[in-house]
Amino acid sequence: MIRKILGLVLMLGALVSTTVQATQAEDIKSFTLDNGMKIMVLEDSSIPNANMYLFWKVGSRNEVPGITGISHFFEHMMFNGAKKYGPKMFDRTMEAAGGANNAYTTENLTVYTDWFPANALETIFDLEADRIGHLDIDAKMVESERGVVASERTTGLENSNWRTLQEELKGIAFRAHPYSWSVIGHESDITAWTLDDLVQYHKTYYAPNNAVVVIAGDVKFNEVKALANKYFAPIPAQASPREVKTVEPLQKGERRTYIQKASVSTPNVMLAYHVPSTSHEDYYALDLLSSVLSEGNSSRLYQSLVEKQVAIEVETYLPMTIDPNLFYVMGVANPGITAVELEKGMISEINRIAREGVTEKELEKVKNIKLMNFYRSMETINGKANTVGTYELYFGSFDKLFNAPEAYNKVTPADLQRVAQTYLRRANRSVAVLAATEETDE
Amino acid sequence: MNTLTHLTKRSNKLITAITLGSVLALSACASTQTSTSVDTGSFSMPAYEYLVLDNGLTIYLMPQREVPLVTVSAVVRAGSVNDTTSGVAAMTAQSLLLGAAGKSKAEIEQMVDFLGASIYADAGKEGSYIGADFMAKDSDTMLPLIKSLLLSPNFDANEFDKLRQREIAGLSQAKESPRSVISRYFDKLVFGAHPYGNATSGTSESLAELNISQLRAFHKSYYQPRNTAISVVGDFDAEQMKAELSQLFGQWQNGEKVVALNLKAHQPELSSANVLLVDKSDAIETTFLIGGKGISRDNPDYVGLKVVNTILGGRFTSWLNDELRVNAGLTYGARSGFVAYSQGGVFRISTFTKTSTTKETIDLALKTYARLWETGIDQLTLDSAKAYVKGQFPPKFETSGQLAGLLSDMYLYGFDDGFINDFQAKVDGLTLAETQRLVSTYFPQQNLQFVIIGNAEKIALIAAEYGEVTSLDIKAVGFGG
Repeated sequence: MIRKILGLVLMLGALVSTTVQATQAEDIKSFTLDNGMKIMVLEDSSIPNANMYLFWKVGSRNEVPGITGISHFFEHMMFNGAKKYGPKMFDRTMEAAGGANNAYTTENLTVYTDWFPANALETIFDLEADRIGHLDIDAKMVESERGVVASERTTGLENSNWRTLQEELKGIAFRAHPYSWSVIGHESDITAWTLDDLVQYHKTYYAPNNAVVVIAGDVKFNEVKALANKYFAPIPAQASPREVKTVEPLQKGERRTYIQKASVSTPNVMLAYHVPSTSHEDYYALDLLSSVLSEGNSSRLYQSLVEKQVAIEVETYLPMTIDPNLFYVMGVANPGITAVELEKGMISEINRIAREGVTEKELEKVKNIKLMNFYRSMETINGKANTVGTYELYFGSFDKLFNAPEAYNKVTPADLQRVAQTYLRRANRSVAVLAATEETDE
Repeated sequence: MNTLTHLTKRSNKLITAITLGSVLALSACASTQTSTSVDTGSFSMPAYEYLVLDNGLTIYLMPQREVPLVTVSAVVRAGSVNDTTSGVAAMTAQSLLLGAAGKSKAEIEQMVDFLGASIYADAGKEGSYIGADFMAKDSDTMLPLIKSLLLSPNFDANEFDKLRQREIAGLSQAKESPRSVISRYFDKLVFGAHPYGNATSGTSESLAELNISQLRAFHKSYYQPRNTAISVVGDFDAEQMKAELSQLFGQWQNGEKVVALNLKAHQPELSSANVLLVDKSDAIETTFLIGGKGISRDNPDYVGLKVVNTILGGRFTSWLNDELRVNAGLTYGARSGFVAYSQGGVFRISTFTKTSTTKETIDLALKTYARLWETGIDQLTLDSAKAYVKGQFPPKFETSGQLAGLLSDMYLYGFDDGFINDFQAKVDGLTLAETQRLVSTYFPQQNLQFVIIGNAEKIALIAAEYGEVTSLDIKAVGFGG
């Protein structure tokens, strides 16, 4: 049975507000252990399952040349053996208890995800505590895992134009900040880091004071608290990791790069503009601007490029980010359209917003889309855990999740025009083109 | 988008319709092991109502109140198996969104986007789908819209030409990613000229031939109430919804009787090992599938096979992933699975590796697969797989979208809620002796079929070691392109 609660009423100009049931702030209980580990709990008994998400404040932004990709490689090593549960036993024990797991690494975070029948909660605590407190990196496992990650890198480049473009584009958009390299790292670094690099990495970043844990599902808060005290509380805190202090110098003119790939059927163009971090006040306006440009078939880029047969696909992407990052726009040309024509079309549509702004109705539309996306994300215990943790990390507190509707609501058409003018400028732009042949100078 | 920027521990699934699990045979000495069952909590089908209107339209209603959303999904019993021209089912379905009942495509998109809602339409091998996802308060707008898209699409010629052109371009684009097209090649290799071999997407040549009158004819033949089910899941009052759907769809008329295809007949015998070598000359890795025929969706051993396949290639600690990824470091992921249709299916092992380790990886995949017959499954591994399959089952039916998909599948493939309600008992009841029977009955052992996509210049000689080779360029027309 799901408890009925009131929450999240979004008042939009002409729309009648409705009363809905969805998670609200009071449904999330949290506590912090003496070692600094913050734990949040959402009770939800809709299915007999639960999950545990562990967010670690480490990603490729914490790397330096020579060990690029080590955050992600380390994520793999977290599954490869500790004191109580040796190589392979983390996965075998979890699966035998009905659980499954995964993990992902981004520029900013490394996130471990466990999905399990609620009955297995204690087993999961035991497994996680073992690898957090007593990881035992096996030299042989390091070598086979290098092959796995090399394959992950290769298969991404083989199958994803997005990944191919983004890797090159980050390299020219950032010349100082660690966002310059891809999360998977440089090929030569994957083969070069040492066991000692990995041991240091665990010691530095996998300290309880550098983590946020979210548990959602068919569990009871008191039970979670008792298990957290038993398994996680004894793990000692560590000194805070080195802060990332590098500030990317201001870009003062357009930068360009080209990638040749024979099998690409039509040119792909990716633009990237420098934008501030997620905690900056302009985040909500930029996020809505991204939707105006590309969300739904009535969006600006779809209407001007796909509908007019200039592109077969367009998308925008604004990652959540700790440091100032990039606003991406990507298009795939229709046959017969050159990279130059496609790029011109994309830029002209972006410039039109900077010049003329957006309508009230358009803004209202994307606010509705945001609300819908929010509901979708809160439909599963997974979505709840991931969303709550993400807000805690990028906005400084999960409470911000419940201010989000209001924060989006406050954004005006003038705000969208202002952020388009401020950030989506030529001098602030990097361009990458992926095509079978490079266009000639003639 | 996140998947493009987040790196994960596990490999992304090769896209499959339905994947099941893998097995081992039991060696005699293992029978002394005692079986233990893990309690993963009880899970049953959420309450729902099922009704059939006088015109034969099937309706499923399942209230779910967690968020104020509603999902509507209509499924028509027709897909690429019914294609006269390759791609007609998919293009008919997608053309439903090009305008209806006097409203243009642009007007509909404006209206839907403004509500934050979304609509989709597409066809698979045996079903054509149209659906929507919207806020509960917008039901009065969205339900009539779905009705007009489903019953009275405009089939606007100009919009169709544009869609077709984009789809043809999309076929070439898809081939830039071997992972996204390899299943089409495999189905063609296994089923040949049988309707299950039809690529749902059509080919660049077949799409170029299509015209509006073919779409209209397809729509008229199959889009009938007695050939359709509508599932509504989400935040609504069942009585009100029943009244509304009856009012909207009650007058929908049937046309000429739909003749069901006999898809059991004329499925080719796989009497030799065949290799389809697809050349992508700038490939930096080799992507391959190995397998053969599988099972139909209504097979009574469906659940047992899910457990057995879990052991072979259905989870992280499966034999295939353990050998090829964890022990050898040859790949980011290896898996296996059954893809089930109504009257047949395929079984495939799938993985990829850098070009230089192609042979080593194929050989290790085959050697690992052979363990099913050579070593068999032990009780501990079986118990673990059973716990895993049960424990991972409920999250597959958590959202309105997932539940609507389940109801659509029940209609299309003719199974009932026993699939959900008896699932745990079926899994618990699987014995070691049973797994042996499942292995010998269902897993293809002889005459394996291979699709290998990669740099042919470097791997052609290797490909020839596994069977009769047919070579083609990835850009060649056919096989869904």
